[in-house]
Amino acid sequence: MLKRALYLLGGLALLIGAWGVIDRLTTGHEQANYGSYVVWGLWVAMYLFFAGVAAGGFVLASLDYLFHLPLFKGTGRVALWGSLVSLAAALLSIWLDLGHMERIWKVYLQGNPNSVMFQMVWGYTLFGLLMLAALWLAMRRPESRWLKGLMIAGLPLALFVSGAVGALLGVQAARPFWHVGLFPVQFPVFSLASGAAMLLAAIGLFGRSDDPRRSQQLWTLAIITVALQLVKLYFLWADFSQSMYGNVPLNVAAVNELLFGSYWWAFWILQLGLGSLLPMVVLVQPKLARHNGWAGWMGILVLMGFAVARANIVFPALTVPELEALSTAFSDPRLQFAYFPSAMEWAVTTGMVGLATVAFLLGNDRMRLFSMPTVEA
Amino acid sequence: MLELREQTDVLVRMRSDLLRALEQPVERRRWVMVIDLRKCVGCSACTIGCIAENKLPPGVVYRPVLEEELGTYPNVTRRFLPRPCMQCDEPPCVPVCPVNATYKDENGVVVIDYNQCIGCRYCIPACPYSARTFDFGDTYVESTAEAAGLIVGRDLADDHERAASFEYGVQWPRTRREASPIGNVRKCHFCLHRLNAGMLPACTTTCIGRATYFGDANDPESLVAELIGRPNVMRLKEELGTQPRVYYLM
Repeated sequence: MLKRALYLLGGLALLIGAWGVIDRLTTGHEQANYGSYVVWGLWVAMYLFFAGVAAGGFVLASLDYLFHLPLFKGTGRVALWGSLVSLAAALLSIWLDLGHMERIWKVYLQGNPNSVMFQMVWGYTLFGLLMLAALWLAMRRPESRWLKGLMIAGLPLALFVSGAVGALLGVQAARPFWHVGLFPVQFPVFSLASGAAMLLAAIGLFGRSDDPRRSQQLWTLAIITVALQLVKLYFLWADFSQSMYGNVPLNVAAVNELLFGSYWWAFWILQLGLGSLLPMVVLVQPKLARHNGWAGWMGILVLMGFAVARANIVFPALTVPELEALSTAFSDPRLQFAYFPSAMEWAVTTGMVGLATVAFLLGNDRMRLFSMPTVEA
Repeated sequence: MLELREQTDVLVRMRSDLLRALEQPVERRRWVMVIDLRKCVGCSACTIGCIAENKLPPGVVYRPVLEEELGTYPNVTRRFLPRPCMQCDEPPCVPVCPVNATYKDENGVVVIDYNQCIGCRYCIPACPYSARTFDFGDTYVESTAEAAGLIVGRDLADDHERAASFEYGVQWPRTRREASPIGNVRKCHFCLHRLNAGMLPACTTTCIGRATYFGDANDPESLVAELIGRPNVMRLKEELGTQPRVYYLM
């Protein structure tokens, strides 16, 4: 029933996404609401989110294929597959964001290795290939030593790519809200948390009903998710309190915009309330955390919270003018400091979510993502 | 001699400074711009001149004029601050480019290779002066009627709008949506195409108050060398260490 509903919703999302992508490809960026001041919009935020899930999912796959934890034996494939479909959604989102999509090859053949973006593109390319190879081995030759080798190589790569996302923003000294030394450290933690939430959702909603370890897996993942959420909240507090005490005007303005400005609802209701606090309250209760449905849907809520959190990192920093009078210096819809995604942007993002959902469901149906260990743990 | 110099329009002097600089090897020139904020009246003629010269589409602006009101009544004043690209000697926008599409050319001007730029826009937030804008492909005549009987309908206006600009000495017609500079980041380049033809930047020649000066700072005889040696000179956000080549006289 749930699967059918998700297939239906995913298919609908794909249809909406198809309209958005066609519009994007035929009219370029004309229908987008981002401009030259708020220069990155929803797609960049979703790229950061999906990329984080991909890196986190890979790390969790290592619990099965590298560390051979008995409790998580048989969950490696689903973690890898979830990670792969997330990476696909991430890369598609960011590719559509380019002004010249057809020139992406230049990053590979004519790139600037000193640019964090260059390093990230290369990193994600290698990461994607490595993940494909790992998934192939996991499906065909799960006992192969090569799989362990790939996981060993992939762990530092996952750390690098998720940290690079933080560095991508962190190196921007002109934006005090982003120019935080801990950004490249925070993002791997965010990635791991979103990977754990993804696995929580996958096992909770689609795990094998005959697996006696399922409730213990959910409880363990719930504890991991809650612990990482606490770390995330601490980072949030550290960032915001330092910004407010430091009193650097650009930084304070960005934090104010997020907490009390046009994005207050996204922060307080979606990110903090529904995305963090509610799942934490539910998941610390063993009875609920071990319940398939509760755990699964809390995983989905945590993922939603992380998606909103990525947007809340990207948008507010850009809505603060670098020169105060810039907002009134030249009137044009593209030169505004307010941003809310357009219908076309929402449609494309809906399509990406639909793509990831349908691809995950198809994988779950066709590839036997969940397996049971032959020897009881 | 001094009297004669003072009577000469600064544009004439700057033009002769420019021609003298062009005789020098390119690596010896140091193009700088000086803007006298006491003379700027906020007419935005420089903004419009720049838009006309570079045929900038909607949303792309190289030189907005920032307007501020200072003080409290009755001690109130207004200040106008034209903001071209600072052509920083340590530009934060350059190292972030993943494909080396933006760089300092031999003149020391930060340029963009339109055919190399992938349109990722990473350089835009890197600029502390918001001096870069993205070309979304928008047109001014987007919703202009094509109905017969109008003196200038969409067709005619559209032709004019899609005419080529001559930035970097190359023709850039806006005839195809997928062709550069649509989809690229764009910025002020001190009108390099004009400089190479012996002409001052468009913003300098259109300034009605003669508040914008341009020339080679390495030439001790030039007007700009004289101006940037004054004590009332400042540069924007100097604390960032970007070493802007645009100076303001206070």
